[in-house]
Amino acid sequence: MNANCLIDVKGLKKYYKGEEVKALDGIDLEIDQGEVVVIIGPSGSGKSTMLRSLNLLEIPTAGSIIFDGEDLANPKIDINKHRQKMGMVFQHFNLFPNMNVLKNLTIAPIKLLGKKKEEAEAYAMEMLERVDLADRADAYPSQLSGGQKQRVAIVRALCMDPEVMLFDEPTSALDPEMVGEVLEVMKKLAKRGMTMVVVTHEMGFAREVATRVVFMDGGKVLEQGTPEQVFDHPQDPRLQDFLSKVL
Amino acid sequence: MNFSDLWIVNELKRTLLVDDRYMMYVNGFINTLKITGGALIVGLIIGIIIAAIRTSYDKNKETLQLKGGIGYGILSIVNWICKVYLTVIRGTPVVVQLMIMYFVVFASSSNGVLVGIVAFGINSAAYVAEIFRAGIMSVDQGQFEAGRSIGFNYFQTMRYIIIPQMFKAVLPTLLNEFIALLKETSVAGYVGVIELTKTGNIIGGRIYEYFIPLGIVAIIYLVTVLILTALVGKVERRLRKSER
Ligand SMILES: Nc1ncnc2c1ncn2[C@@H]1O[C@H](COP(=O)(O)OP(=O)(O)OP(=O)(O)O)[C@@H](O)[C@H]1O
Ligand SMILES: [Mg+2]
Repeated sequence: MNANCLIDVKGLKKYYKGEEVKALDGIDLEIDQGEVVVIIGPSGSGKSTMLRSLNLLEIPTAGSIIFDGEDLANPKIDINKHRQKMGMVFQHFNLFPNMNVLKNLTIAPIKLLGKKKEEAEAYAMEMLERVDLADRADAYPSQLSGGQKQRVAIVRALCMDPEVMLFDEPTSALDPEMVGEVLEVMKKLAKRGMTMVVVTHEMGFAREVATRVVFMDGGKVLEQGTPEQVFDHPQDPRLQDFLSKVL
Repeated sequence: MNFSDLWIVNELKRTLLVDDRYMMYVNGFINTLKITGGALIVGLIIGIIIAAIRTSYDKNKETLQLKGGIGYGILSIVNWICKVYLTVIRGTPVVVQLMIMYFVVFASSSNGVLVGIVAFGINSAAYVAEIFRAGIMSVDQGQFEAGRSIGFNYFQTMRYIIIPQMFKAVLPTLLNEFIALLKETSVAGYVGVIELTKTGNIIGGRIYEYFIPLGIVAIIYLVTVLILTALVGKVERRLRKSER
């Protein structure tokens, strides 16, 4: 494990219904500081399960996830502390519908980081500014477009100052004309050096932004490398087959 | 013909004015409200606790099982007790529960109103608990995941994110449960509580005529229920407005 490694996944397995469904079947993956790792693969290959295991939304059947020197898969550790440092963005935004944008952004920093309301709000406004949504601070999620919702959701995670951001198909639920604005925000984030793990079907984004592309199928990592290696010189036949369908 | 000779006027006089009988209705109605209000509070408190236990069992059993230790064992026993409670309370008539409370459990107490509050409270709690549980389950699972992924623990997620949304979803159902409770308390007369229904019964017995006294009782219930129903409608409209 190199010194830059932020998350070290070893032998990660996740089975459902006994051993009938092997959603993850032995994953080894190192994610370094500042990397943008894009995970691709066919439907049902285990991408979401893999991502959700990183912050233990799914409880692994076996294996270890070393983050900040602790094994997250160990049930004895305080997972909540670690989750604060792992921002997550969902396909369906999951904003809190009963709170306005500002409240969505500040509730966790206030309750969990012990920030003062003014301080948390000032920080949230600064972050909103970066995604051009400062003028919607008082709006409720139902008053926002899909693209705006997802940008707010990204900011909500960022307000906790995470060490890594996890994205599970952040643009899949968006109308096509709104995909761009969300990817733009993610690109900016990558440029600022944020460590990101992104599950997406946006191959253009993967090619342009990823430092590494990981191809999964059948609960296994079958191939990984730079975008050029994976997209232009795929080795694994299943990756070749997958790319021929999506590109 | 003299107005005061009319049958109906005479009857109303006998049921309401003679011996200040209207005060009996007032007192009876006050007892009805006392039992309903008290039972409502008892039901809410116990109901919330049971719903909390049942949902935390459903949502945490996987984690607790993996964690080992006695946490899972305790929670599953408590959860089992709650389930038995719900089954018994919802599977037996409230009158029987009331009589067991009065003649067996609190045999030494003659405070019927208090026993009524306890009995109807415990009964109502079973229904309130299931309303809350359904409400919590109806909140999108994504909300739960958003809360947990940001670092809130189970109870913080419940408190800050799930319960405020759940409350909005169940408020109309909850208010309807209370309207049902108000009407249910009419059987408290079985254990000697002189609430509204019993009052009508007693006055009927005194004047050998039941139509007017019970009619008045029915009207008081009806008007109260109509007022409460209008309130529920208002709450529902306001909630729907804030959804948008
Ligand atoms: N709760 C569950 N119970 C049983 N099987 C599950 C469960 N969750 C996921 N699976 C199975 O695990 C496998 C991997 O699912 P996963 O959602 O990780 O795939 P994915 O790569 O994210 O697919 P998609 O691109 O469609 O989102 C699938 O076969 C799925 O059916
Ligand atoms: Mg998925």
